[in-house]
Amino acid sequence: MKRFFCAILLASTLTCCLSLYSCTTPSKKYSDYTFDYFDTVTSVTGYAQSQDEFDQAFNRISDLLKEYHQLFTIYDRYDGINNLTTVNELSGGIHKPVKVDRKIIDMLLFSKDMYSKTNGRVNIAMGSVLSIWHEYRQNGIENPSTAKLPTMDELTEAAKHTDIEKLIIDEQASTVFLSDPEMLLDVGAIAKGYAVEQIAQTLIQSGITGYVLNVGGNVRAIGLRGDKTPWVAGIDDPNGTESSPYYATLALEDRSLVTSGSYQRYYTVNGKDYNHIIDPDTLMPAERYISVSILCESSAVADALSTALFCMSVEDGTAILDSFGDVEAMWVSPDGDIQYSKGFSKYIQGDNT
Amino acid sequence: MVNKKARNDIILIAAVILIAAIAIVCLLFFKKEGKTAVVYVDGRLYGKYQLTESITVDIHSENGTNRLVITDGKASIEDASCPDLRCVRHYAISRDTEQIICLPNKVVVSVE
Repeated sequence: MKRFFCAILLASTLTCCLSLYSCTTPSKKYSDYTFDYFDTVTSVTGYAQSQDEFDQAFNRISDLLKEYHQLFTIYDRYDGINNLTTVNELSGGIHKPVKVDRKIIDMLLFSKDMYSKTNGRVNIAMGSVLSIWHEYRQNGIENPSTAKLPTMDELTEAAKHTDIEKLIIDEQASTVFLSDPEMLLDVGAIAKGYAVEQIAQTLIQSGITGYVLNVGGNVRAIGLRGDKTPWVAGIDDPNGTESSPYYATLALEDRSLVTSGSYQRYYTVNGKDYNHIIDPDTLMPAERYISVSILCESSAVADALSTALFCMSVEDGTAILDSFGDVEAMWVSPDGDIQYSKGFSKYIQGDNT
Repeated sequence: MVNKKARNDIILIAAVILIAAIAIVCLLFFKKEGKTAVVYVDGRLYGKYQLTESITVDIHSENGTNRLVITDGKASIEDASCPDLRCVRHYAISRDTEQIICLPNKVVVSVE
């Protein structure tokens, strides 16, 4: 009998200890959202010990997003900031190098590097072509009855001014110069992912873990969830149903997941959908896939590669993945057929819903 | 004698582990709350609604209105003032972390 009470006593002590332990580890989940940056919604979810602690991290993330948004946007000007809008405007105007923040220089150098590593499939110097599509798409979305396609003449004319070698970066002077005055930068395939990765690195350096950032579908997991299990992210099936909305759900620990999809942004001309990912060869929307998802550590690499692989065969895409190493991909063809890279399956969660 | 002592010790340890395990399971079980549809407008918390309820809420934002309907343990947007109506076409959500987002109206409905 004595032993029995002893057992109960020990058991309750053990329970108390375990409960206390679980209280001292960050175990409460918080979420917050902002609609102010990169023309999309950003969600931040993280495990923290208090609302205050989470709010501090969230405000820091918001401030950084604001800074990167203001530097990388090609649609807005901000007082006292030389951003990519300024670079695009001044290159044709005064035709002189423009002094910019070091963060812009680093992003442009990264973009040039990605251009050479993807055989030119992701080209930030394609702004002249992309701006034509952007304009037609916006008009088509606002006035669907008068939606039109750009003519091949205007596209090929614009495509003469997309040579990335004419983007001159002077690291020492921290200047950018477009030596072809007709050229325009469009960093839409890279800037968001690049910004998310820089923010993730800043958080990691300050010892923050147990967070996931989702900037318009650009997902970056930092560490694990509060219960030490991986974060879970689904790849949307645009034709999915309530019971099966995803092509796959993936376990993420210190990983990024970025999907380029033909269903994300498009407009309709004469009953046919035209998406926003323009193939540099045909100058027309790429139609090989419904979506291409990239899974790797860096959100910057994932963002750039999801666009690049969208414009090439699975074989060519696989060769590029091999040259990077530790980067996985999932391709969905228009008939719904799914292909995975070699190591992709180890991230797939058992339950496919 | 030695064997009996050892056997009693094993029983003691087993009992300790068993009772502790039962206690922890009970603690975890009672801690678990029902799922909630949490609504945010432009990043600010707008309201929390139990998925077990059956209700209709008009979410008013600066840019318009989204009608949230909770029924059969699922949340969906049945009507909205936004131009693209992506939120209305979105399937009903019920699983943890699922979201419906209306970009034009800056509305997020999230299962938490």
